[in-house]
Amino acid sequence: MTLSHCLLLASALFAVGVYGILTRRQIVAVLLSIELMANAANLVFVSFSRFRPSMSGSGAQGQIFALFSLALTVAEVAVGLAIVILVYRAHGDTRIDLASEMKS
Amino acid sequence: MSRPITLALVATLTPALVALFLAATPFIRRRGAPAAALTVLGSVVSFGAAVMLLLSRLGQTGTELFTVPWIRSSARVIAEAGVHVDGVSASMLAVVCFVALCVQVFSLGYMHDEPPADFGRYFTYHALFLFSMNVLVIAPNLLQLFVGWELVGVTSYLLIGFYYKKPSAAHAAVKAFWVTKFADMGILFALLSLFVATGTFAWNVKLEPAVATAVTMLLFLGVVGKSAQFPLHVWLPDAMEGPTPVSALLHAATMVAAGVFLVVRADPLFVQSPTTRTVMLVLGAVTALFAALLALVQTDIKKVLAYSTCSQLGYMVAALGAGSVLAGFFHLTTHAFFKALLFLAAGSAIHAVHSNEIGKMGGLFKKMPLTGAAFAIGALALAGVPGLSGFFSKDLVLEGVEHKLHHVPYVILLATAFLTAFYMGKVVFVAFFGPPSSEQAKHAHEPGWSMKLPLVALAVLAVVAGYFAAPFARLYGEPYHFHFGVGAAVAAALGLGGIALAWTMFGGGKRENPQVMVTVERIAQSRAVNRLYEFGYRRVTLAMADAFAWFDRYVIDGMINWLGYFTIDAGRRARPMQTGFAPDYVLAVVVGAVSLAAWAVLR
Repeated sequence: MTLSHCLLLASALFAVGVYGILTRRQIVAVLLSIELMANAANLVFVSFSRFRPSMSGSGAQGQIFALFSLALTVAEVAVGLAIVILVYRAHGDTRIDLASEMKS
Repeated sequence: MSRPITLALVATLTPALVALFLAATPFIRRRGAPAAALTVLGSVVSFGAAVMLLLSRLGQTGTELFTVPWIRSSARVIAEAGVHVDGVSASMLAVVCFVALCVQVFSLGYMHDEPPADFGRYFTYHALFLFSMNVLVIAPNLLQLFVGWELVGVTSYLLIGFYYKKPSAAHAAVKAFWVTKFADMGILFALLSLFVATGTFAWNVKLEPAVATAVTMLLFLGVVGKSAQFPLHVWLPDAMEGPTPVSALLHAATMVAAGVFLVVRADPLFVQSPTTRTVMLVLGAVTALFAALLALVQTDIKKVLAYSTCSQLGYMVAALGAGSVLAGFFHLTTHAFFKALLFLAAGSAIHAVHSNEIGKMGGLFKKMPLTGAAFAIGALALAGVPGLSGFFSKDLVLEGVEHKLHHVPYVILLATAFLTAFYMGKVVFVAFFGPPSSEQAKHAHEPGWSMKLPLVALAVLAVVAGYFAAPFARLYGEPYHFHFGVGAAVAAALGLGGIALAWTMFGGGKRENPQVMVTVERIAQSRAVNRLYEFGYRRVTLAMADAFAWFDRYVIDGMINWLGYFTIDAGRRARPMQTGFAPDYVLAVVVGAVSLAAWAVLR
């Protein structure tokens, strides 16, 4: 298993996430797709930490950063779910095309 | 600072202080009487200083100069302000202060029935006028003279429009302001040309012949406006909407004479341009005759006097054009006395009869002997009856014109002398003799002392001023010898003949109206010159304004509006790009990111 394998996997995960965002009509599914993209990024962090420890000072910085990123993602999901609840209360459904208020 | 300078400054600045004080203290001004007392007191001080100055100048011909830097550039002083005392300014100062004092004292009685606030306002304007006129008179250069010139223009506007609630007075004020302002552009351009050519505003500089003609012609345009010469005379008869004492002071004796004064002052410039002088001679003679003809058919006593003023100013301008500066200036002085006298006497009559129409007066001489006598003396002096001041000055003018062998203007001026005597005779016989023509005229009575006193003072001067021609000429540094030659005899005969003709036509209550008069009346009623201006205004000025307005509205504004509409339309067309659906934005981001990546890789 080399760095390339890991990066290819991360790219595939990211592409799946993008596809999900663009095609899914349920907000929850969109949120899950975002998670996929975030984890693809985390995977890149961890992979470089594992295969290229010399790129950072202590050799563990990529892994530490991945942990931070996970924490941030959790917070983001909390906000996202709150929005989903509000959209449900407003429209009685959680389809993303209902939330077109951005057009004002 | 020498004594003459101090006196001139006192004469000038006292009214300025009075005007400033009254302007700053409305509670005093609106009480009326204190404001009037203060103004008259200030004028007494001014007059005293002016007389002392004049007496100190007798037998001298030199010049006293006092200046302070006024406008500076980084390198030098461009213009100075100050006092220039010589024979011309000393005598003019005395005349202005004297007539102003007489008129103000007269106004105490004449304007007595005005509300106190208006009474105070009136006298404040008077103080401002005296200051402005004196600034003009003592000016050491043309720039300060121009400042005084504009200041008297403003006071003239204020005083013509004194009854500003009356539309005709307001219109007359605006008309006077615009007509003279149009002419003042000439002076402005003259000053600019003079400055460009010489770097100064002095009147005693040597110029190229072409520049001299340009500068003096432009200056003369200002004179035509201010001194109401044909064809810019139209404002003066309308200015009679102001109170009668104002007409006496501004629009007969002093302010309108400022134009003549300017030419006297700038004589060293005018000498350099024979062309301008010829134009002045011709225009002056034309004005004299034209205005005398119009005066012939006026029924409003003030309008007769107004046209008569135009006519006499034409005399002065013609004299200046013929090169006899002394004659023009001397006629200015005597005219100031007898025309102020005529206006004040007319004011006294109007005050008694409550009408300007000579047809409503009649027989006033018996009811108001002093007013009648004063008016008669003024009329005789104006007609050039031998022995009175007008005779001497008019003779000097005619002599000056004849001396230069200008035959046509000479004959015109002689004809004008005849007409002058005739129309003044007509007014005297219709208004003061014969039976009373109205109820008011039957019960007319003399005014109070404040109105009589100035009449007496001015009447005395109107009689005797002519005998001071010799010392007056010495002030100016020219010789003067009176000789009763053929010219004087002819002029005197024409004057007496005019009065005699007026007696045969209007004496003893007769009212003849021969065909000639009807014709002239028709010309006067056609208001040809006024209509020309109205045509010019409506058809040319307004048409141009409309054209510019169209261009502004449809081209300039059109471009701006088009830009606005284009922006709004572009926004409207671009708006559908924003769907408001989050996935669409993500798609845009992805497309952008992929494009960037592709560009980075393929570059």
